[in-house]
Amino acid sequence: MNEVQLFSTCLAEEFFPEVERASATILQRLGLKVRLLKSAFCCGQVAFNEGFRSEALDLARRFMAACDPAMPIIVPSGSCTSMIRIFYADLPFEDAELTAKAAAIRPQVYELSQFLVRVMKVKRLGARFEGAVAYHPSCHLMRELNAREEPMALLSGVEGIRLVEVRDREECCGFGGLFSVKFPHISGAMLSDKIDRIRQSGAQVVVSNDCGCLMQIGGGLSRAGADIKVRHLAEILAAR
Amino acid sequence: MAVSPKATDFFAASEAGAADHELQRKLESASARHLEHFAEVRDEFTPYENERATARAIKENALGRLDELIVELTEKLTDHDCKVFFAASADEAREYIVKLATQCGARHVVKGKSMTTEEIALNPALERAGIEVLETDLGEYIVQLRGEPPSHIITPAIHLSKEDIGELFHEKFRVSYTPEPEKLTAEARTRLRESFLRADFGITGVNFAIAETGTLVVVENEGNGRMSSTIPEVFVALMGIEKVIPKLSDLPHFLEILARTATGQKLTTYTNFLRGPRADGDLDGPREMHVVIIDNGRSAMLSDPVLRESLMCIRCGACLNVCPVYRHIGGHAYRSPYPGPIGSIVSPSLIGSSTAYLPFASTLCGACKDVCPVHIDIPRILLHLRWKETSSPAPPPWPHDAHRARAGARMFARLARYPRIIRFLGHIAAVLVKPFAENGWIGSMPPPFANWTKVRDFPAPRPGHPRPANSAGKSIRNGRS
Amino acid sequence: MADLSDIVARVKDALGSSARGDLAEIDANGAPLHALSANDRAELATQFGHELKSVAGDYLGICRADEAAARIAALAAETGVRTAAIGEGVAIDTGAIATALETEGISVLRTAPGVDADNRTQTLRRVADADMGIAEADCAIASTGTLAVVSTVSRPSSLTLLPPSSVILVNVDRLVRDIAAAVATLGANEIANHRVTLITGPSRTADIEKRIVLGVHGPKSLHVLIVWPRDE
Repeated sequence: MNEVQLFSTCLAEEFFPEVERASATILQRLGLKVRLLKSAFCCGQVAFNEGFRSEALDLARRFMAACDPAMPIIVPSGSCTSMIRIFYADLPFEDAELTAKAAAIRPQVYELSQFLVRVMKVKRLGARFEGAVAYHPSCHLMRELNAREEPMALLSGVEGIRLVEVRDREECCGFGGLFSVKFPHISGAMLSDKIDRIRQSGAQVVVSNDCGCLMQIGGGLSRAGADIKVRHLAEILAAR
Repeated sequence: MAVSPKATDFFAASEAGAADHELQRKLESASARHLEHFAEVRDEFTPYENERATARAIKENALGRLDELIVELTEKLTDHDCKVFFAASADEAREYIVKLATQCGARHVVKGKSMTTEEIALNPALERAGIEVLETDLGEYIVQLRGEPPSHIITPAIHLSKEDIGELFHEKFRVSYTPEPEKLTAEARTRLRESFLRADFGITGVNFAIAETGTLVVVENEGNGRMSSTIPEVFVALMGIEKVIPKLSDLPHFLEILARTATGQKLTTYTNFLRGPRADGDLDGPREMHVVIIDNGRSAMLSDPVLRESLMCIRCGACLNVCPVYRHIGGHAYRSPYPGPIGSIVSPSLIGSSTAYLPFASTLCGACKDVCPVHIDIPRILLHLRWKETSSPAPPPWPHDAHRARAGARMFARLARYPRIIRFLGHIAAVLVKPFAENGWIGSMPPPFANWTKVRDFPAPRPGHPRPANSAGKSIRNGRS
Repeated sequence: MADLSDIVARVKDALGSSARGDLAEIDANGAPLHALSANDRAELATQFGHELKSVAGDYLGICRADEAAARIAALAAETGVRTAAIGEGVAIDTGAIATALETEGISVLRTAPGVDADNRTQTLRRVADADMGIAEADCAIASTGTLAVVSTVSRPSSLTLLPPSSVILVNVDRLVRDIAAAVATLGANEIANHRVTLITGPSRTADIEKRIVLGVHGPKSLHVLIVWPRDE
């Protein structure tokens, strides 16, 4: 394998644009040619999760038209990866050709850390990052993709890093996509617990693989006036 | 406990729950204790994973030929002199039981814990018929005294502290205040013992119904299910059609996992095998035993290939304990006898359209799916129900701001088909909100993002403006966010 | 009002044409019952005792059949029992126990077969008023510390439910390894024809702040004696 596709996701494009470059940098350092998937913008999860299946189908078609099923597709998000890799199977594509294409694409889609550890078999990327870092595992990454070890393995390989533990770190931050604006009171109560535990951990930086969690936790930290930053895992792994 | 919520009650109730830090503290500590016990018994029981898989396979098989199993069970129960009644709806089940109690001249009904009786709102109907109904599970007894429905399917009074219960007993029974669980339990024992001995009508739910032997299995810890099915002259067992398992040898697989996940025990204190009325000369058991088998939406669930899986539930309650939403709003907010993740997938079918929001009230975090002893893929079912609700001819009426958020998401999804347009709009949005950003975050946003900034800041969009590549390590103190 | 055919029709419709042939036949049979050696039984007894204690049961250990009556009479006397209710045994002669209790000055209620509807309520009350209920279990499960009692005319299950103190004897031959073995030992026939209860420890609740309290509705204490009938 010498070439991969990179789909940076809509949230990263709009709110965390450095994620795309950082992810590309990491992949290129491993000797891979990186093709950016720019003719698609969103995997369709936001529509799918709200029950707007025809909109989700449209976006899925657009995404599939953009990619080459013969080549791995790297997504720096556990949530978007789950959508494509797992939930595209639940989308009722009308024609057999699209269904076949979805079946071909799904196993080619990898979340960044899983691709690095499981496919490329690397853990140390020569990254260097100074600071106390708390890792926040995103729910889809852990429970849909079953990636519990990979991000930690990669973070442990970063020079200068000091990893700190957040109590109950596997508990959801309360983002949940549109849940966060439909049920702000519940989402906010969950976030508030998360912020308290992050503050108790002594972390200077919170790292996650999902821009949704970064928006939620970052927004909570900013609102609380905490001097703690949020960073995407790719940024840490690309830092030197 | 009639559940007749107004359509948007969930929003108000969950808001109240989310603001109640005391409630969250109680739920957190009770859940933590439960999860600790569960982890202990799970870790020392190596066949646990196999038992989960076997139990699931048995349920899958049983649901696949449920029609045959119902016939077999009915024949066996009838052979045992049980009277079997079929109820298509909650109304039919409730009317049958009330009529039966009235005809028997019942005056004092004792009930073991049964979520299905909550589902059919049985207690108020019995009371309207002038019959005293006493919940005898300690937790149920406590919430009944408070005039509340249970807030958890295993631990009905999980939302109350021992102090709350001490005050309740003090007020209701005029006994001196004590928060000690031992003394409170002793008080309840004395009072309920007398009630059991004079009860003329008993009602419990059913955990498993074995078709092969015509046996109803009721598991419990306190002995109240045993009492309710042993002492009164007339006994009614109420069960959903999905409770049937084919063979006696299937049962141990469920017993091995149910208590472990439900309460962290290896086996519940009492596992009762009930088969029919007492024989001549027997001391124990009722003179008449009725089995009410209820559909009430279950066959519709069975016909939906995705939703069918939710009928595998053995009501262990573990998904409630791990659910961060449940733990932040409490069971009452769900406005259904079935709260939490499992409640969110079964309530729309069993309780009705007032619970149509529940599938949306989840972050899809998946903790429920991980803990479920029969591996029900709850998040996938939630997604399926969201789609069904959205495409139904009468979708639930959303509160204004939630409606706006959904409309916004739909609009976004439609625009996102045209990457160039959506990127252009993204750039415009970034320029528009830039003046309001401080350190990269915005404190107040207009709709449809206004709800976002109610509780946290919003990230300033900056498409095409990444942080410098090497800044992650160096600039954590002076960069944005 | 619905009847069996309505419900079955609904379920049939719901299942549609989904092929039943595909349903995997579940081989869920319990472990085969091996004949156990005396050593195996001693081991199971130890495990049973350990598990019983972990559910707050009182394990009285193993004794010979001819010692059981004295052991139980002593326990009753020690715990201030004034009335005891006792049923017929399964493999053990409970008559000797009743006599030993009476010798201690304890009044004994023997649950006689053939209770009629008229005196049922009174009999239940008398059992409930007894300080101690004594019964023999049909089977005991080592892996969970559980006793299986089959309710019959001469051995009503109220004996292990109503009195605050419950004493259960079990013959060592009736110890089995796990729940599956117990269910297999009791057998479909026995279970189809009787009320059976599996008892694991004294009655308990965790309904107040998930704190465990014993003796809610059933017995507050459970004492178990394993009886070894032969000289092995």
